[in-house]
Amino acid sequence: MVDSYLRQRSSKDWKTSEKHGAAEWLAERWTSVALIVLGGWALWSAFGLMNQGYEVALAFVKAPVNAGLMALTFVITVWHSYVGLNANVLDYFPNSRALKLLNLLFCLVVLAAALGGLFLAFKA
Amino acid sequence: MSQTPHRPLSPHLQIWRFHITMFTSILHRATGLALVVGSVLVAAWLLAIGITASGICPQAYTVFLTFAASPLGLLVWFGLSLAAFLHLTGGLRHLVWDLGQGFQLKSANAMSWWGLIGGIVLTIIFWVVLFATGKVVL
Repeated sequence: MVDSYLRQRSSKDWKTSEKHGAAEWLAERWTSVALIVLGGWALWSAFGLMNQGYEVALAFVKAPVNAGLMALTFVITVWHSYVGLNANVLDYFPNSRALKLLNLLFCLVVLAAALGGLFLAFKA
Repeated sequence: MSQTPHRPLSPHLQIWRFHITMFTSILHRATGLALVVGSVLVAAWLLAIGITASGICPQAYTVFLTFAASPLGLLVWFGLSLAAFLHLTGGLRHLVWDLGQGFQLKSANAMSWWGLIGGIVLTIIFWVVLFATGKVVL
């Protein structure tokens, strides 16, 4: 049974899986390199905003360059989180489609909350 | 899918005898998971600004700050900054490995130790500066 599976199915499966895995492996790397830069900027900005109050924070968020960089930082952060969380799912619950779907939904909710907040502040 | 249950799982925590690369590998995963929580909190900060500015819930930002600036909140931020710096040094180590460098046992162990020490030192420096400049007050 395993032999017939190997003959008929697996070589095709492996080829697909190989491409898929490579894309995720590469995404994990390039997002991590991007986050070294963007995370540094975010930490520096957070340092500047701390203990400065609401008006300073709002003015920071409303500056187009800051809003754009924050949106970019969140997109890449959530992407990196998605790949990392998926690695956990695949390691411990390799057959769970539910957890993979839950991970995707969770990441989209976090991204929507951040971008939504950004949009509301920017528009106000 | 009757074949899949026979595939091996990743080794779980209790299998390993302690060594530093095993410890920093587990730590890299743990700090990554902690930072997912951190990203939720930063998203909540943005959402708080957004719904305050738009008038949907004008006291949202004050509520957020009440938690974020409380002693418990500061402890959470401290933990998240430690996780961030450790995940940074751990990530750099993994990028070095991904370039095909540093696989000798000695250099792998050394990178793990330096990443661990570096992450802790960066966190301490960050918080000393925060308190010294009056950015954070208890």
